[in-house]
Amino acid sequence: MFDVIFIGLSLSSILLLVALGLAITYGAMGVINMAHGEMVMIGAYVAVLSSIWLGANFLLAIPIAFVVTALFGLVIERLVVRRLYGRLLDTLLATWGISILIQQAVRLEFGLTFFGIHIDGLGPGLQNVTVPSYLQGTVSVAGLEFNGYRAFIIGVTLALTALTWFILYRTSAGVQVRAIIRNPKMAAACGIDVKRVNALTFAFGSGLAGVAGVMMSGFKTVFPDMGATMVVDGFMVVVTGGVGSIFGTILSSGLLGEINALVAIGTNDIIARAVVFAVVIGVILFKPNGLFSYKGR
Amino acid sequence: MLSIKNLNSYYGRSHVLQGISLEVPAGKITSILGRNGTGKTTFLKTLMALTDRSTGAVVLDGQDISSAQTHQRARAGIAYVPQGREIIPDFTVRENILMGSFARADRKHVVPELVGELFPYLVENFDRQGGLLSGGQQQQLAIARALATGPKLLLLDEPNEGIQPSIVEEIERAIVRLNRELGMTVILVEQNIAFAREASDHFAMMEKGRIVAQGPIPALTDDLVHRHMTV
Ligand SMILES: Nc1ncnc2c1ncn2[C@@H]1O[C@H](COP(=O)(O)OP(=O)(O)OP(=O)(O)O)[C@@H](O)[C@H]1O
Ligand SMILES: [Mg+2]
Repeated sequence: MFDVIFIGLSLSSILLLVALGLAITYGAMGVINMAHGEMVMIGAYVAVLSSIWLGANFLLAIPIAFVVTALFGLVIERLVVRRLYGRLLDTLLATWGISILIQQAVRLEFGLTFFGIHIDGLGPGLQNVTVPSYLQGTVSVAGLEFNGYRAFIIGVTLALTALTWFILYRTSAGVQVRAIIRNPKMAAACGIDVKRVNALTFAFGSGLAGVAGVMMSGFKTVFPDMGATMVVDGFMVVVTGGVGSIFGTILSSGLLGEINALVAIGTNDIIARAVVFAVVIGVILFKPNGLFSYKGR
Repeated sequence: MLSIKNLNSYYGRSHVLQGISLEVPAGKITSILGRNGTGKTTFLKTLMALTDRSTGAVVLDGQDISSAQTHQRARAGIAYVPQGREIIPDFTVRENILMGSFARADRKHVVPELVGELFPYLVENFDRQGGLLSGGQQQQLAIARALATGPKLLLLDEPNEGIQPSIVEEIERAIVRLNRELGMTVILVEQNIAFAREASDHFAMMEKGRIVAQGPIPALTDDLVHRHMTV
């Protein structure tokens, strides 16, 4: 039983890293970024490529992935999202297009396949990342056995969540983000450069998703479409937790991750997913603004 | 101080402000009057670039801000106290006030001393959530937030609307003091003619998105008030 809860916690962790970015960008900008899942995928590929090409340590892939996906996020915000603020459907469609573009870019190795060039680690196939030995195996604490890698995922997530919390609640940048989430017009009237803060927020959220991708690469195969379900999962977490509530996002990723793990252990992954969907639909029916909403959008 | 020429403003396709021209003199209070729905709020929002679109010229102290974005206008020295106050309910009093400091030229996050003098209640309740304050206290908070921007020009939209009488007087005194003692330029949207006459130096009467009369406050005759404000 304890085992299952622990597995659930590691699933929740990945969910949280993906959802935090969505929660902040959706909360602050009202933008649904369909390419957010691709940031997870890019993060995973960064882990693959950096181990093949840089011989880099798995741990090193984490900061690299954060920077790479944050830059991707920045470019997406600058080129597309910024021009479409307040046009939810247009943004949805445009970012969906971007997500397909990114998937194809990886599949076609940025077009190099057309010239007969192959880059190891890219392409349509499945990739794997080996987790360093010190993260494998089990650690036993107080008579309980912990899977080392799952403990690592949980630890990284805790650290990044704490960092996010710190930025939001203890720095001047965070005050600006929270002010924009609550009242963008008044924030601007108080001298806050809403566009600039939004761009950086978008980049930060993308970076977190990239780290989630590295984590996932350690226990799942990596392939170009892997991000597609992540964006859906991430949004389920955000909607269940309540838009605009970071606390809600944290609790609801815990809730959904645990439900997934508990059901999956008794039955299988597909039924677990169905149960999670049912829970989410139930929450939306009875509390349309989510469990911890500040305001509906 | 503020020179406005042929200002037009739109919400989507609706053309709300239609060719407003107005000179706002430095160190004076200018009252904007008119019936409900004539565009007084829209006028202030347009000065902050908060409507969907606007055309015309706005020059602040010789600086052309016609195409400046909202945050740039705030940094240029215009502070906005909106109708309905719009404080952030789950920010503390201190956080709400400090929000204004993002417009300060030096970017220092400080609560101006002035706030403590004008509204001692706020300073005594720094750590209370803004949403727990009464309407009048929230209004004071919104004014304090505006003062924290270090403004040259203060835009006040019906600061006494729906506020308990005990606090109305305090807010009126604060507005007069800001102007008389500190020389702050104020544009005041006001429904209470008596206070507008007492406090302001100039007025502009609006009707259906245009200014139909303007001048020094003695020119605000009862006849004008009847013609443009009685329903
Ligand atoms: N966000 C908006 N979108 C579309 N139309 C709007 C919007 N805000 C105001 N209007 C319209 O613009 C016109 C002017 O409204 P405004 O709020 O500026 O009037 P007001 O003079 O401030 O009225 P009041 O005395 O009631 O505050 C009204 O006809 C109103 O319906
Ligand atoms: Mg109004």
